[in-house]
Amino acid sequence: MGVTAKEFWGKFIDILPLIMLFFISLNGSSVINIKFFSINIHYILVYYWVLRQPQSLGYGFIFLSGLISDVILGFPLGVNSLSLLFVAGVAAYVRVVTVRITLINDWISFVPALLFANFVYFISLYYSNYSIEYFYLLKNSIFTFIFYPVLWGFFSLLLNLTKS
Amino acid sequence: MDTSREDVGISIRSAFLRKGTQQRFSLFALIIISILLIFLETIDAKPLNLIRSFVKDVIYRSAVVSTYPTKIFSGSYSLIQEHFGLYRNYNDLKKENEKLKNNRSESDFLEMENIQLRKLISEQIESESNLVSARVMLEEQSPYLNSFVINIGANKEIKNGMAVLDGKFFIGRIVDVNFFSSRILLVTDLNSKIPIISEPSGNHAILSGHGDSQPTLEYLSKNHQIQNGDKIYTSGKEGIFSPGISIGEVKRNKDKIEVQLYSKLNEITFVNINLEGIKDRK
Repeated sequence: MGVTAKEFWGKFIDILPLIMLFFISLNGSSVINIKFFSINIHYILVYYWVLRQPQSLGYGFIFLSGLISDVILGFPLGVNSLSLLFVAGVAAYVRVVTVRITLINDWISFVPALLFANFVYFISLYYSNYSIEYFYLLKNSIFTFIFYPVLWGFFSLLLNLTKS
Repeated sequence: MDTSREDVGISIRSAFLRKGTQQRFSLFALIIISILLIFLETIDAKPLNLIRSFVKDVIYRSAVVSTYPTKIFSGSYSLIQEHFGLYRNYNDLKKENEKLKNNRSESDFLEMENIQLRKLISEQIESESNLVSARVMLEEQSPYLNSFVINIGANKEIKNGMAVLDGKFFIGRIVDVNFFSSRILLVTDLNSKIPIISEPSGNHAILSGHGDSQPTLEYLSKNHQIQNGDKIYTSGKEGIFSPGISIGEVKRNKDKIEVQLYSKLNEITFVNINLEGIKDRK
């Protein structure tokens, strides 16, 4: 009846995306800022897993993680949830319409996801009377897009581990 | 043409309306809930505030636990860095000590003179009892946001708008109060606007944060005489903060007038909250 080390490892790898999702939210580290660079790993994480293995990352958890991010970052409740759900929505749409899995396909389809998410983010903060640094938002989107293949590689490795 | 349009429609419906494998909620339903939450956030009603307070308190406490490993890691990293910079720090401190010794006699005299003058104009000198101390539970410093979450809230009579000090230096104000926690908006935050007065030039201005470490002075009069090294204090003009709380020093950078804060915001563990002003107005 006991759980073997292999089974435990398998379960752990299965829920690792979920752990990462909540760790990022609770740590308030959805955006990594290193000098001039600024990368939104939250978007990449949600996009990749909803696209490749949606059963690992439920929409409810994504919503909850967005709410936690809002509280931690001091934004109005719902702003991050909404933009993350839009990222998930684009990923779900791309999953339905594509057959082949390639980095280039994923990478290009990530552009509309980023655009939608940042548009929603901008609109919600604008109507909640929050100041927004437009240049920063643009810079963040560009670097998030550029950085996508790096995390894509890492997550693909993880996905292979899950499957094996 | 019609067929491809139908295909897109079917795909969108499938992505947003269907629950999908092992999903309990549809994306569409959650998006609607998110939009509702954003609207609810604009409503200021007591029951809603109570729920918000409770939710935020729970999340802050959970975040404290989950950030513990990160804190240990960053603590060890800064400890190693400090050790590497020990010799340089020693030399800097030696020089600074010499300088302070020279200035000490001068400042003693000025302090005595200041006390006498304050007595003369019957100004109420702020007492220590007006300050309440708190520990910083979470700190968020990014271009998006510069804020702290502290471990006291309505339970210690904290109210929105109260001035927050690091020692005697102004660092921000309270913007969100829960039962057992509050959020401080730091002067470096994009949304922070603090009325100040400069000394000795005596100009009034607004200290605006930009998401980086140095806020700037805005809305200065055209013929201002602000120089490098001028001291910046809260002016108390908006009637919330006490006037005369030190903030930093002017550091001109081309056309910008930046303010070098006295406090190092990334090294703060405890803060003081000035209960005066708002409490008096009740």
